Amino acid sequence: MNATPMSSPASMQRRRFLKLGLGATALLAVAGAGTALLSKPGLIEGRLSAPSRQLMRAITVAVCGDLLPPEGPAREARLARHMDQLDRQIAGFPPALRGDLGQLLTLLGTAPGRLGLMGLRSPWAEASAAEVQARLQVMGHSSLALRQQVFHALRDLNCLVFFNDPASWALVGYPGPRTN
Amino acid sequence: MSSSDIRDNDGPSGAITGIPDPIAEGLARGWKVRGGPHGALPERIDCDVAIIGSGAGAGVTAEMLARAGLQVLIIEEGPLKSSRDFRQRESDAYTQLYQEGGGRKTADQAIPVLQGRCVGGSTTVNWAGSFRTPAETLAFWGERFGLSTLNFDAMQPWFEQVEKRLNISPWLTEANANNQVLRRGLEKVGVPAPTINRNVKGCWNLGSCGLGCPTNAKQSMLVTTIPAALDLGATLLVQTRAERFELQSKLGNSDEREAEALICQPIQTDGSPAGAPLRVRAKHFVVAGGAINSPALLLRSDAPDPFNLLGRRTFLHPTVASCSVMPEVVNGWAGAPLAVYSDHFLSTQAMDGVIGYKLETAPVHPGLVLTNLGGIGSKLAERARALPQTAVLIGLLRDGFHPDSIGGSVKLRRDGSPALDYPVNAYLLEGARRAHLTMAEVQFAAGARSVHPVHELAQDYRSWAEAKAAIQALPYKPFITGFASAHVMGGCGMAADAARGVVRPDGQHWQLRNVSVHDGSTFPTSIGANPQMTVYSQAARMTAGLARRLNGREVRLFSPSQS
Repeated sequence: MNATPMSSPASMQRRRFLKLGLGATALLAVAGAGTALLSKPGLIEGRLSAPSRQLMRAITVAVCGDLLPPEGPAREARLARHMDQLDRQIAGFPPALRGDLGQLLTLLGTAPGRLGLMGLRSPWAEASAAEVQARLQVMGHSSLALRQQVFHALRDLNCLVFFNDPASWALVGYPGPRTN
Repeated sequence: MSSSDIRDNDGPSGAITGIPDPIAEGLARGWKVRGGPHGALPERIDCDVAIIGSGAGAGVTAEMLARAGLQVLIIEEGPLKSSRDFRQRESDAYTQLYQEGGGRKTADQAIPVLQGRCVGGSTTVNWAGSFRTPAETLAFWGERFGLSTLNFDAMQPWFEQVEKRLNISPWLTEANANNQVLRRGLEKVGVPAPTINRNVKGCWNLGSCGLGCPTNAKQSMLVTTIPAALDLGATLLVQTRAERFELQSKLGNSDEREAEALICQPIQTDGSPAGAPLRVRAKHFVVAGGAINSPALLLRSDAPDPFNLLGRRTFLHPTVASCSVMPEVVNGWAGAPLAVYSDHFLSTQAMDGVIGYKLETAPVHPGLVLTNLGGIGSKLAERARALPQTAVLIGLLRDGFHPDSIGGSVKLRRDGSPALDYPVNAYLLEGARRAHLTMAEVQFAAGARSVHPVHELAQDYRSWAEAKAAIQALPYKPFITGFASAHVMGGCGMAADAARGVVRPDGQHWQLRNVSVHDGSTFPTSIGANPQMTVYSQAARMTAGLARRLNGREVRLFSPSQS
C-alpha cells in the first residue's frame, strides 16, 4: 500500500493520552499493550460486558437525568431496556468502530482509566449522578481533544439510543412516524 | 389521488402498506441480484463495465451504460432495502442505511458524517434538495483546475436531462413550520428566501426523507436509475465490498497501467466478511462509492499517485446548527425537511475570502437533533421537552476555495477501512461563529423566544442582543464548536492536467487506462450547494463520453420516450 496505515482512533487516543501526561505510572501500564490482560474487556462478542453495563448505566443516568422515570422498578426496567438497545446499536457498527469503543470501555472500566480520562474518583457502581454529571460537564467543556472524544463517544451514543426509543417519544412530544 | 386510496395505516410502527414496491416487483420479474439474502456470489464475474457503488454517480452511470447496450455489473456494499422496509424510524434507518451504522465520524471524532450505505447510496436517505452547480463554483474550477469546458452554460443540457429524469422542480406545497421560521426570519432581515427544488413525484410530505422514503415519492437512484438498469439486464451485487484492484505490473517508466480485476468481499450488514472473495473482470471499471470510499479503494489498490493527490482535498461543507425555541408549535419532524434556503451569505464576499455559508433547515427528529444539540442532565431534559417548539437552522460552510481551506485526507485504518482526517482550523471556526451569528439573528427576527447555537459553552439566549454579545465572546475551538456533515466531496479531484488532479475532465483516472471515477470525489472543491444534482449531471456528462469510447453509442440520461 502506498498509504501509511493510520492508527485507529482508539490507538490515537491512547497515544495522545500518554502525550498529555494525565495519568500516573499505573495508568501508563494499563494504557499500554497489556490492557486486555490487566482488565476486563469492555465488549464481549460485541456486547457490553457486565462492567461496561454498569459504566453505561451511570453515564445514562447522568446524561438523561429526569427524563428517566424516578428511582424504582420503572427506572430499572427503562435502563435495562436501554442497555439492550445499546447492545443492538453497537452490533450494527463495523468491526473497527466496535473495536475502538471496546478499547475505550475497557480503559474506562479500570480505576486508573476512569480517574485519568474522566477524573472520576468513585467506582462506577458507587458514583452519584451529580458526580458523573460534573465530570462529564468538565469533559464537554475541555479543550483537550482526548477528553472531548471520550465525552462525545459516551454522551452521543446514549442520546441516540435513548431518543430513538419509542419509550422516550412521549417525553419529547414526538408522535412517532407519520402515515398521512 | 388521495393517499388513503392506497394505504392502510397500521399505526405506530410507521410502516405504510399498500404502496407499490418497485424493488419487490423487479425481483419477482427476474432482476439479477446476488449477495446477502439474494444468494451467494459466484467465484468470478466477467462484464463490460463494473460500477462500484449504487448512489448518485453510480446510478446514472448504470442506467446510461445499460441503455448503450453494455453488460453492466453494479457492486454495492450496503443492503437492498425498499419502501416496505422504510418504517420512518431513526433506530432502523441509521443502522441499516448509513455508513458505519450511522457512526461515521472524522478521524479525530470532531465531525459526524452522514453518508448512505445501501442501494441508492446517499440518494436513498438525503433530504431531496436539488441545486444546479453554482456558476461561480464552475468558474472557479475553470480558473484553478483548467476545467473551463465545464462552465455553467456547457453544463446546462446535463442539468436539464437530470431534472427531467428525476422530476426535479420547485417545492410548491406549503413549507413546513421549520422552514417557515427560516423564510420569516430571512424576510425580516431583508434577505431573499427562495424555494428549494426537490426530486420528488407525488410526495406525501411526511418528512422522513432522511430515513428512506416509505412511499417511493423521492426519485432516488433506488427507484429510478437502478431499476431501469436492472430492467435492461444489469446485475446488482449487494452486501459486497470492493476491496482492491489487481493492477497490471508497471511497464517501463510510464505511470499508465490497467486494472486487470477487482477483488470483492461479500459482507454481513455490519461489514464483517461473509464468504469467499469474488474476482470481477471488466473492460472498464467505474468507481462511484462516494468521496470517502472511492479514494480508499484506490489507496488499497496501490493506484499510481505520482503527484500525491489521492485522497487529499476532501471537503465536507462543515455544517453548524442553531436551535431556536419558538412561541408556536413547529413539529419540525413533519413535512419536507428542505423547502427554503438562502445563498445570500455565500455571495456577499469574495469566493476565496472569508468562508461563505448556505442556510437551510434540518429535520427535527428526536435522535438526530437531541444527539447533536448538546447538553446533559437538566439542560438536555429542558431542550428535549421543548422539541415540539424547536426550529433548527443549519449553515453549510463552503470549504475548498481559500488557501487555508485545504479540506481533509482519506487514509486507511489498519484493517483497510477508510477514515477521513479533517482538521478543523481557525479559518473554519471563524466561519462557524459568523454563521451562528447570522442564524441567531434570523431566528430572533422570526420571533424566537430563545436561541441556542450548537456549541458546548453556549447558553439559551433570550434576545438577539444577548446572543450577539455572547457568540462574539465564545471561544471557537474544535469539539466545543458543534459540527456535522452530510456532504462529502473531493479526494479524486478532476483537473485538466495530471499534476492537479487524480482524474481527467472526462472522469478517467490519469494513470489507469480502464478506470474512471463518477462521483462527488471528482469535485476539486466543495460545491456550495447540496451536491446530488452536481453528481448526477457530472456523471451523465462523463458517462455519455464513456459510452462513446466503449462502443460508439450516443446515450442520454433522459430521452423523449421517457416523458
